[in-house]
Amino acid sequence: MNSNIIKFILNGNEVSYAGPAGARLLDVLREEFRLTGVKCGCSEGECGACAVIIDGMLANSCMVAMGRINGSHVMTIEGYAGTERFAALDKAYASVSAVQCGFCIPGMILASECILSKTPHPTEEQIRDGISGNLCRCTGYNAIVTAIMSASKEGNGLW
Amino acid sequence: MVNGYYPQSLKEALELRAACDAVPYSGGTDLMIQSNENTNYLFLHNVPELKRVSENHEYIRIGAGCTYTELIDHPLTPAILKEAVSQIAAPATRNFGTVGGNIGNGSAKADSALIFFVTDSILRLASSKSERLLPIKEFYLGRKQLALAPDELIVEILIPKTSLCSYYYKKVGARNAQAISRVCFAGLMDIVDGRIVKCATAFGAVSEVVLRLPDLDARLTGKTIAEAKAARPEFLKSYEQAIVPISGRISAEYRKDVCMNLLGDFLDTFGI
Amino acid sequence: MNISNSVTKKDHLPKMNGKALYVADYSTDGILFGRLFYSSKTRARILKVNIPVLPEGYLTVDKNDVPGENRVHIVMDDTPVFVDDTVEYIGDPILMVVGPDEDEVARLLSEITVDYEDLTPVLDISDPDATVFFDYHYGKGDVDKAFSEADKVYTEKFRTGRQEQAYLEPQGMIAEPHDGRITVHGSLQCPYYVHGAVAKAMGFEASRVQIKQDVTGGGFGGKEAFPSILACQVAVAAHKAGKPVRVIFGRREDMEFTSKRHPSLCTYKAAVKDGRITAMDIDVMYDGGAYTTLSAVVLQRGIICANGIYKMDNLRVHGRAIKTNTVPSGAYRGFGAPQTFFAVEMMMDHIAKDLKVEALAFKQAHIVVQGDETSTGGKYHFPVPVPEMIEEVDKASNFREKKKKYVRQTGRYRRGIGMSMVFHGAGFTGSGERDFIKAVVKLHKYADGTVEVLASNADIGQGLKTTFSKIVAHELNMPLERVIFHNPDTDRVPDSGPTVASRSLMIVGELLRRASINLLSDWVDGEDRIVEEHFTEPDFIIPFYLDRFHGDAYPTYAWSVSAIEVEVDTFTGLSKILGAWGSFDVGTPIDMNIVVGQMEGGFLQGIGYASIEQIDADRKGRIRNNSFSDYIIPTSMDVPNLNVMMHIEKYPLGPYGAKGAGEIPLVGAPGAYLEAMEQALEANLNYIPFSAEDTMKVLRGEVK
Repeated sequence: MNSNIIKFILNGNEVSYAGPAGARLLDVLREEFRLTGVKCGCSEGECGACAVIIDGMLANSCMVAMGRINGSHVMTIEGYAGTERFAALDKAYASVSAVQCGFCIPGMILASECILSKTPHPTEEQIRDGISGNLCRCTGYNAIVTAIMSASKEGNGLW
Repeated sequence: MVNGYYPQSLKEALELRAACDAVPYSGGTDLMIQSNENTNYLFLHNVPELKRVSENHEYIRIGAGCTYTELIDHPLTPAILKEAVSQIAAPATRNFGTVGGNIGNGSAKADSALIFFVTDSILRLASSKSERLLPIKEFYLGRKQLALAPDELIVEILIPKTSLCSYYYKKVGARNAQAISRVCFAGLMDIVDGRIVKCATAFGAVSEVVLRLPDLDARLTGKTIAEAKAARPEFLKSYEQAIVPISGRISAEYRKDVCMNLLGDFLDTFGI
Repeated sequence: MNISNSVTKKDHLPKMNGKALYVADYSTDGILFGRLFYSSKTRARILKVNIPVLPEGYLTVDKNDVPGENRVHIVMDDTPVFVDDTVEYIGDPILMVVGPDEDEVARLLSEITVDYEDLTPVLDISDPDATVFFDYHYGKGDVDKAFSEADKVYTEKFRTGRQEQAYLEPQGMIAEPHDGRITVHGSLQCPYYVHGAVAKAMGFEASRVQIKQDVTGGGFGGKEAFPSILACQVAVAAHKAGKPVRVIFGRREDMEFTSKRHPSLCTYKAAVKDGRITAMDIDVMYDGGAYTTLSAVVLQRGIICANGIYKMDNLRVHGRAIKTNTVPSGAYRGFGAPQTFFAVEMMMDHIAKDLKVEALAFKQAHIVVQGDETSTGGKYHFPVPVPEMIEEVDKASNFREKKKKYVRQTGRYRRGIGMSMVFHGAGFTGSGERDFIKAVVKLHKYADGTVEVLASNADIGQGLKTTFSKIVAHELNMPLERVIFHNPDTDRVPDSGPTVASRSLMIVGELLRRASINLLSDWVDGEDRIVEEHFTEPDFIIPFYLDRFHGDAYPTYAWSVSAIEVEVDTFTGLSKILGAWGSFDVGTPIDMNIVVGQMEGGFLQGIGYASIEQIDADRKGRIRNNSFSDYIIPTSMDVPNLNVMMHIEKYPLGPYGAKGAGEIPLVGAPGAYLEAMEQALEANLNYIPFSAEDTMKVLRGEVK
């Protein structure tokens, strides 16, 4: 089956994309859909700043070609930010001032969501492993780990 | 202008592979590093035959399109393979990277390829016209050179079930997570009634191709532990001579030292 | 109400929900894309640049297009906006290609070739042909006499490597020409530095230039001076094109071509008599790279700190910043101090070992106390809390017990623990605040009672939006939401100085506090009023003279004691960090969570500097590992046991007792890490980064 139009669900809405199937998801999200919460930190899948959630899985959008998400669900920070789970993470991250320069944060939040949706009550080690692909240069990671742990506890059955 | 193909079956995928000039896209996590939006891709993620994990009497069969995360979660995945793929990169890459892509990249640093080498796995390669089975050792011709015909796809990896449980694995990167291997080592040692029934070793990231020397390993096969202990110095010496690491930013001496240390530790672990 | 009580940061939400706009996030409608073309030669004369035929709407921009002076003002003015006749390093920017389609710009870039005439490069600071950019001497007492009377004289060399700041957001700038002016906005730390540079390169009066800081994704010094270069380049390009131009760096480009920490080679000589150090004679060499940029100031700080926290009546220090044909070195958290503090801590360790005394006790016997003279004949005017901090860290880490325990190890895994003690001079070196910066802040009280902070300091993640606002809100007894602080815009804010040198809270925060008191004293509801506050040098300061390196180099000091415990796997050379403990005195924390976050982040950067962060250059000086896959920075998995303790010694002239905080956490990490490695490997070590390979080399020596 060949198709020139790629259709997918973006932040809950059916959208379509008519450009090359080999274009990077990161570029399409930022430029076509103006979702600038998805950041470009390295273009090599090493830093996690471009992280999105595809069909429930954490993905580095710089390493995903548009054709791969044909028919998939894609969620960016903009789509996640309206959820109750986001509100719990927001509160937790705020309580320990885990946001410094903020560039890693959208990816970090989506990574937090993926950790907690797989393991609602993770150990610290599981949290650290879950964000091991999200580089942060500002915080030293402690506050972020504390925030995710606290969200899992205060989360009240959200995950 | 079409630049994406979305086969829904292996048959369709192979037909497209033969007919179109498109790059097979499994997980994309290696391919996309050098991405060019005008490349034609043959997207394989919807091909069910590439996603199967099953076992029969002889083999555990791993679909080439299985992602590392899928294999980590699958009950049939051998422990040695689980351990290796758990240490690849980080969660987002593991969610999309596939064993087929790992092999298809042709690198000697490929963490899953190391396991397939040490287990003497067999690749099932298919084209629209035919199919063949090829031991993985014969699939790698040299640095990033694979014995894959232009119309072929890697379909499955067949892992022989013998002696999979008694293993040793160590990946040495530059840091604790998300590190490309500088040296990786896998070993199988199956001892039954005090006698070695299988000894297999493989070294990754030291040569142009994963280093697997079954003739050297065979020198321990059939021996009792006491006999193997006596043969240990000779065994290590033969590897000392056989391992000639490539030198790059990481020195050959370092790689060599680590290889020999891990090999010695492997033997120690099993009382040899 | 205690000012240290943590609050929700003012910029928390937009950074959480993705709405915060960094420079690359602005709409590109009507904006042209620019990409820089760099020298591929280490040192060469340009004979000819061969440019392909340019389609309509595409242009190149080079030295001939610079309307003002083809120089970027960074302290001195030797950095070109675009290369003149010779390229001085691989990465020297020759020209920019500009146009409406990014891919087309990239394609044109790939077709440019240059005819070069090779010149002989210098890549080693020890090369006798190397140019010395800066050469300083200072000292006190009678060093030669002390050496002649010594029981023993020790000499050792120490090396440190380049370090990449690795801020997550790459460099980026957008320039827009309009109404006879040029507006440049982007990722930066020092709006007025950029302002001065752009005005000079454009040949414009100050009023024709506007610089605005965008939300900035980390800086750590890497965006102190470098943005001035990029800003000049985009401004010139936009001026030529008559349209806005944007340049956003890719990661590889950023890692390969932007400023990094100065590599160093230091030679320490120490005289010991009756078990005590009586003199030090220190030679410091920093690799400045191809242009001077900030090397003078980095070197000044490095040599002022050369004898560490130890009392040294007889001291001779010689420092040089040397040119090599490599990427110009620049500012990075610590700014010259980490290099010499590393060296002096290791020197003290090695001497103690030779004297067969415990290193900690040996160091303790030499620590300065309040009232002592500094290296430059100034004074430690305020308490030195290091002895108490040592006890805090020892208690938390069991340092002394482990130091005794990890001996005669023969197994596969070997452990070690190390401790370092350092200071960081808070604020600009010497009389810079008084003579150059002359900081001014304003507070604008609106009729509705909200108050806006007008200062040029940039929140780059360290929380200035929140801490500056907290100071004003606290003093005016107002809710935090009623205090406004926008990212600085030179059209709207006075020059309160750069966001560097751990000065923002201590100096500018204090000005805001005084301005607030001023505002409050004459508060009239409904009135619109602006108050201004100017920097005045505290009375107690012994004036500093740079020509003699004499006086108080800094008004006060932040202090830290760090301990790091490692476990080395002798089979692989890899080290696991079992724990890192740091006690930090930065005076009163203006916000506890924010300050602790800074300590944790800086401490981890220092650990990376000492261990896994290695920049490899080939024989031509080309940086080979220019991506996150092979320039390795710590992930969440690397130091799970990182512990920060705040020790509060209030500084009376800082706001509520606060003093410089940003840099101190990094400075002590390398000495602690390497001392731990020494214990694990039973060897004396003298360079960083110290990698798994280096570990293996030591072990190989032991085995064979």
